[in-house]
Amino acid sequence: MTDIPSGHKPEIPPGRSPVSRFAGLVHRYREFALISRDPVLFMSLLFCGLFLLVFVFFPLARAISSGFINKEGLFDLKYFARYFDSYYGPVMRQIFWNTIRMGVLSSVIGTLLGFVFAFAMVRCQIPGKRWVHLIAMVPTVSPPFAIALSTILLFGRNGLITKQLLGLNYNVYGMQGLVFVQVITFFTVSYLILRAMLERLNPAMEEAAESLGAGRFHVFRTIILPLLIPGLAGSVLLLFVESLADLGNPMFIAGNMTVLSTQIFLAVIGEYDYQKASALAFVLLVPTLFVFLVQRYYVNRRSYISVTGKPSGSAPVEKSRLIRWTCIAITYLGCIFIILLYATVVYSSFTSAWGVNYAPTLRWWNDALTRGVEAILDTTFLSALGTPVAALIGMVIAFLIVRKKFSGKEILDFGSNLGGAVPGTILGIGFILAFKKGRVVMASILYAILALFFIFFATPSRREQVIMLILGTGIGLAVHFLAPQLGLKPLMYTYSGIYLGLAVISLVRRRKLGFYTFLGIAAYSALFNLVDIIAVPIAVAGRNMERGFWSSALYQMADYIKVPFQLSPVLLGMALLFITALVVRSENSRLRLPLGVIALALPCVLFYHGMPLALTSTPYIILAAYIVRSLPASVRAGVAALQQIDPSIEEASQILGADAQYTFRKVTLPLILPALLAGLIFSFTRHMTSLSAIIFLVTARWRIVTASIMSDFEQVGLMGASAYSTIIIVLVLIAIGVINLITRRVLRGRGDVDISMGA
Amino acid sequence: MYLTLEKLTKTFPPRGGAGEVHAVKDADLQISQGELVTLLGPSGCGKTTTLRMIAGFEFPTSGRILLDGKEINTLPPNKRDMSMVFQSYAIFPHLNIFENIAYGLHVQRISKSEVERRVGAVLELVELTGYEKRAPNQLSGGQQQRVALARALVMEPKVLLMDEPLSNLDAKLRESMRTEIRRIQRSLGITSVYVTHDQIEAMTLSDRVVVMNKGLIEQVGSPVEVYRYPQTRFVADFIGRANFIDATVTRGLPGQLAVQVYGQTLHLSNVKEVYSEGARLILIARPEMILVNSQGELPGIVRRASYLGNMVDYDIEVGGQLISVVDTDPRHTAIHAEGAAVGVSLLADCVHVLPG
Ligand SMILES: Nc1ncnc2c1ncn2[C@@H]1O[C@H](COP(=O)(O)OP(=O)(O)O)[C@@H](O)[C@H]1O
Ligand SMILES: [Mg+2]
Repeated sequence: MTDIPSGHKPEIPPGRSPVSRFAGLVHRYREFALISRDPVLFMSLLFCGLFLLVFVFFPLARAISSGFINKEGLFDLKYFARYFDSYYGPVMRQIFWNTIRMGVLSSVIGTLLGFVFAFAMVRCQIPGKRWVHLIAMVPTVSPPFAIALSTILLFGRNGLITKQLLGLNYNVYGMQGLVFVQVITFFTVSYLILRAMLERLNPAMEEAAESLGAGRFHVFRTIILPLLIPGLAGSVLLLFVESLADLGNPMFIAGNMTVLSTQIFLAVIGEYDYQKASALAFVLLVPTLFVFLVQRYYVNRRSYISVTGKPSGSAPVEKSRLIRWTCIAITYLGCIFIILLYATVVYSSFTSAWGVNYAPTLRWWNDALTRGVEAILDTTFLSALGTPVAALIGMVIAFLIVRKKFSGKEILDFGSNLGGAVPGTILGIGFILAFKKGRVVMASILYAILALFFIFFATPSRREQVIMLILGTGIGLAVHFLAPQLGLKPLMYTYSGIYLGLAVISLVRRRKLGFYTFLGIAAYSALFNLVDIIAVPIAVAGRNMERGFWSSALYQMADYIKVPFQLSPVLLGMALLFITALVVRSENSRLRLPLGVIALALPCVLFYHGMPLALTSTPYIILAAYIVRSLPASVRAGVAALQQIDPSIEEASQILGADAQYTFRKVTLPLILPALLAGLIFSFTRHMTSLSAIIFLVTARWRIVTASIMSDFEQVGLMGASAYSTIIIVLVLIAIGVINLITRRVLRGRGDVDISMGA
Repeated sequence: MYLTLEKLTKTFPPRGGAGEVHAVKDADLQISQGELVTLLGPSGCGKTTTLRMIAGFEFPTSGRILLDGKEINTLPPNKRDMSMVFQSYAIFPHLNIFENIAYGLHVQRISKSEVERRVGAVLELVELTGYEKRAPNQLSGGQQQRVALARALVMEPKVLLMDEPLSNLDAKLRESMRTEIRRIQRSLGITSVYVTHDQIEAMTLSDRVVVMNKGLIEQVGSPVEVYRYPQTRFVADFIGRANFIDATVTRGLPGQLAVQVYGQTLHLSNVKEVYSEGARLILIARPEMILVNSQGELPGIVRRASYLGNMVDYDIEVGGQLISVVDTDPRHTAIHAEGAAVGVSLLADCVHVLPG
């Protein structure tokens, strides 16, 4: 689907001199005009843009800026200055250097391990390839502290291996343990990057070098290594960032040592000092952002093999037996370790008291499935609900990036990656700061953007546009100020009535689109209140049952039913403006003007209702955090899939008579389905296992397992934490299995979903 | 005229440092019903862009496209009643061969039995009967090509567009597919526009050839016209081989043009144009329009001689200029050796003239 002229007016003839800034502006404008002729592109662009604005740029801006502003609202560098004073300085600097040391060690060792795995897989004919690959993938589907947990179980003060078997008094807590844990947790990324590179390495080059008389080591040094440098550098950089951002492992195993991420956590949870947390977050963000930019603009640009080469059929086998068997041995050892670590997690969840009494018990599971069922259900529900949304937004962004030409593509690309690339703690702080109280200014900006979109989209007449904007906004604001105390419930009942009226009018005038849309909105608005009729009895029934799994489950269920129907007013208003703009556009009689005014005024009220955008303690803030975190992976999956689809396939469909919609349904969608399904897997996994981004967002009403384990560790203990971790892993594996099954059915043997892309 | 391009222009906006690209400039072209016209030119000359404008994938910057007398500039591709065969074939990988070919018919909600009949007929035409249930990746390149062609033909389009449809095939297959396409196009009488950069393909296929260069149409004519009577130096050079020889008019009467070439006088009785005396001309002489003997009108020295079996290919230095000559006379068994002094004669009634 390239620029299809949908046909109103011919393109404005091109300006002569493209050099001048004015011509550039003209070009922008012309492009804008062109985009607005392609409503699907325009709306999806606006939708993604607003999503990123509200949930990535806005919170990150808050997270950064509040480090520089004190409680009185004045510019203040207090916490940055602490790095240089003599009282706090030594500790602050110590923490900073600890962090950097951890990052460097973990990323370098992790990359080395990843390289050995990759080399063994590609060049050493390692037996059991499939299994090695699957085992190497396991750390990507587990909660972020599972490895730390089992390392403590095996090598801690009461460790099975250190204490029980070897009788050592080994202290695993500290830098060594932390680096070990991080290496195992993060090496998979490195393995995947380097494996792809090794596979694309053209063996002819090595053979050529060897035929010229170069020795093995010489070939490695002069041919292989330089070609792998971009991959190695990319891997080290990525791992460095992951390591710095990691909160789960340091919390468990860093012992007395503090790193930046835990320092931030303590600043928020222990001291409630957001300025300090933000300032520290900024310190953490600088290296991260630096690495991100280097990665994006330097490494990616230099990775010549990854772009051009195709995986060559058969990579040569490493000739030196010593090298070959060393690699294989290390790889197997790594696999054994991974299996051992995860087996320990599962095993310990069934033992009475680790290190003391290994008698089997179901106590921890029982606990988890009764007291913990709330958190488990909340986590699963929110993860699952966010999954299709994240995969969809990811696909749309990928589509825009790959197939469409527009200014600001870079920003879209950057923004969609940014939220997932920054350390989760920073995003979490940003979310708290951005959405803790009413944000009238932000709501106004959103309203202004969407209102402008609405009027330009709805009608071509300048006069009608102006009237709609003034009257619609005026009425909306008037309602808001005249009835400031209007509750959301009566408001939604009123809306339901009004939209029902609009639906009836549309029915009388035989407007199918209008009728169904307005009827749908009326029903939705009514459900805002009516959903309680279903939810309340369920909750009551749950409360009245005997305390246990089913009682909690039912009680929670009542909450879940409400989530889709009790959207926050601003989000609801945004959705309404989007949807009704289409209806008003399709109405081309004199009714369009009054219809437009009403359709603008009603959402306008919602934008200012109560405390706009105060999302903290609602489930939507957790959902948003999930989606932002998993977006990069689904965008990547989508981009990869779309780049493989020849654009002329879509054109072929069009010239055969299919319109854009039919083409999308019958050609594009089936072709991107594998990526979409892969995107679902990545998103769900990422949601279920995320910790740092949501740890500040959980509330008593909305609990998340990973966060609960951290905060209730004293009560839950190691075995309880193991039980919860096992549950998360099992749920993720079930989801992967289900989606894979669906994929296989849908694709009828056109290949499996490649889960490695999400790592 | 059935399909008309009027002053068709496409300018791509500047992108990434580069300035505007004038891909197609003021293209005028008229195609009658049932005709096969090729757009021929070097890579980047605007052939694809022209074709994509006809298809509706690109929007003309200015100018008009008329189909059957009606302007179709703003008509989206799916409403144009045209079909296109893509260079990459663009076969739907998730559909089998039958579904691929029936795709357009399904869009039109044609009845099942009718779809089966038409797909069956077109499969027979491209000789793929029995392949209905195959997946596209189980077919060879040539077969995929034929599927792409069948998918376009089954629509019985008003205009069939083809963008280098054979460029991904090997030489042998290309040759047979070429005649195949021509046969089918003739038998169905489909108005066709064919894009290629291969002059042999253009010559063998087309009713008329449109030679393009740098976004401009240089010449439109039958294969004979563009070969024998090229209107520009570019056309003469791009199609076949040509010697460009400077000449001065000594007598300019129509039918009695006499020119001075390398100090000799040559009478060009076939040239209709009138030139004033003393005007500078360029003679365009194809290698086979020059004879080489032991004693010709112009003295020359053989600089290179290659024996190719069906002909001898010479580079002969005449008046300080290297001239390509081929000797196709099967009776000439002796080859003039390199360095030999020979005589060269231009076939005066064959050479073509351009103003210098
Ligand atoms: N979408 C586009 N954007 C910018 N320039 C383009 C685009 N498509 C083609 N061009 C430019 O237009 C010129 C003609 O291209 P094209 O029609 O594809 O040539 P051909 O098919 O004859 O090889 C080329 O210089 C090409 O770079
Ligand atoms: Mg082309």
